[in-house]
Amino acid sequence: MASVATSSGTSRKAIRGRGRRKRMRNGFELQLTSLMDVFVIILVFLLKSYSASTNSFSTVPGIKLPLTGSPDNPPDSLQVIITPEAMTFENERILDFVQTAGDAGSISGGYAFKKTDVDEGGRRVIPLYDALMKARDKAELLRAKSAKRDANGQPLPFEGELAIQADKRVEYDTIRKIMYTAGSAGYKLFRFIAMKKDAG
Amino acid sequence: MKSPSARRKGGSHQIELNLVPIIDTMVTLIAFLLFTTSFLAIASIESPFPQASSSRTKEQLKEKPLQLTVSIRPAETEIWSPFDRFPKKTAPNPIPGQPDIKFVHDTLIQIKHQFPAETKIIIVPFSGVTYDTLITTMDSMRMMDPTDPPFYLKNEKTGIDEAVKTLFPEVIFGNLLGDT
Repeated sequence: MASVATSSGTSRKAIRGRGRRKRMRNGFELQLTSLMDVFVIILVFLLKSYSASTNSFSTVPGIKLPLTGSPDNPPDSLQVIITPEAMTFENERILDFVQTAGDAGSISGGYAFKKTDVDEGGRRVIPLYDALMKARDKAELLRAKSAKRDANGQPLPFEGELAIQADKRVEYDTIRKIMYTAGSAGYKLFRFIAMKKDAG
Repeated sequence: MKSPSARRKGGSHQIELNLVPIIDTMVTLIAFLLFTTSFLAIASIESPFPQASSSRTKEQLKEKPLQLTVSIRPAETEIWSPFDRFPKKTAPNPIPGQPDIKFVHDTLIQIKHQFPAETKIIIVPFSGVTYDTLITTMDSMRMMDPTDPPFYLKNEKTGIDEAVKTLFPEVIFGNLLGDT
């Protein structure tokens, strides 16, 4: 008896539920206003952060950049990336370092240039010099073809700006070689790239 | 003829704004922005390649130039002027190869008070200084901290005293040809 009563109760509930479902199907409307609110907030946040990142600097996996408090955003320019493993110029790996044991207790990565990669008493990096000269020739050719001219009607001079992005363990000796090489290839301004402190 | 109030009543039937195309646009925009935005905030510190200039030589000879120099050696850091415009200051490095940033910054603030118009500084690190240490040292040489005592410099154009926000922003490397 009890089971009959239970089953009849269940069926009554099911019938009531069917009615409710019918009512819901007729009057159900998805509330899109709150969804719109969320989207607007996300969109505003993305647009705000988008305007701050107009440069196209790339990086290499595993690089650890140091932190800086400098507020200057780097404009687009040619860039060289140095890690304790290799050197990359404009997304092209131009040389690999030789891994050394490194000094005991040294925080720098143990690496060195191959003897064949440097000349002028170890000051100039040959593959980097070649790549920089190639980039300079290309830039000068583009400027010669460009309609933009200076006051004397001459093509705009080569800017000679180079962004240096180095791993925090890279030593000044390597950076000095890069600056010397760039200077001998006609590059006059260096930008040292680091991560903004307030960016976390 | 309907009275004005009746007309108002008649036009108050519910209008539903179709939000679906707006949401479609927003989803597309958000997807595009998420793909193209770089969340890596990078900053730069500029340094020119040192060049010999002859234009100001005569003018400079009237007065000895400051040539403020910070030499970072493995065991100590020295702040000096080759023309002895101020007494040489030296401090040992707390960690070998890493200068005492507070000493560098505080000394440079004192020098800036003495020579407020000076903007250039020469850095002479030894070859083993890491890029991290270089950036930290250059930061301490270039920028004022919010806790630093403020000081003012007269703007020659307006004649108004303006707060100086930078210390020595033009950093030049003094030993690109090798350790001397």
